[in-house]
Amino acid sequence: METFDLDVRRHVYFSIVANGRPPTVVETAEAFGSDATQIEDSYRRLHEAHAFVLFPDTSDVWMAHPWCFSPTPHRVEAAGRVWTATCAWDALGIPGTLHGDGRIESECACCGEPVTLVVRDGVVADGGDLLVHLLVPVRRWWEDIGFT
Amino acid sequence: MVFLRSEEHLSRWLDTNGYEPGATLTVPKMNELARRRYWTKLDPGWEPPAQAEFEALLGELGLVGHFWSLE
Repeated sequence: METFDLDVRRHVYFSIVANGRPPTVVETAEAFGSDATQIEDSYRRLHEAHAFVLFPDTSDVWMAHPWCFSPTPHRVEAAGRVWTATCAWDALGIPGTLHGDGRIESECACCGEPVTLVVRDGVVADGGDLLVHLLVPVRRWWEDIGFT
Repeated sequence: MVFLRSEEHLSRWLDTNGYEPGATLTVPKMNELARRRYWTKLDPGWEPPAQAEFEALLGELGLVGHFWSLE
């Protein structure tokens, strides 16, 4: 991965933490003093490298794991914000990414009943009796990263 | 990847949707996997982790076999 793309990726992730959302191509171009086309190309390369995921046929960030920027059943309160996670893995990954505690509000995929998990000091303090199920083998995750 | 309240709910969910069973983890195990996998996401010098690194992590957590294979 090129150094420029790593810098862009870092800017995207740090902007998410600072602002609660990913920067647009134009915002990133302004931050870098670059041409928007250059940043758009970088976003595309980062998407193809699975560093983050763009909405189909756009240059807008859809997922920057563990965060998701479209509605899902998984909401995570951590570091003073409420975030959306792509899946159960990412819901637990948000406290880990932020090196802090977290409270996860989600649902049972079967019955739709709310479930709550608490991660404190790195361990599951509440919700430890729940299960996580993965349908798709690891090697096939990127065939459809929104359904694993 | 979804949360389920129990083995009974898991079986019902698979049957209702016609899904083939994949892999089931306890929440503490998934927390350990997610935490270790994502711990460096915000490191200023982050680079894409090597496949071997992910394989090693899965192995350390006992997540081995065809389902967990990266090849």
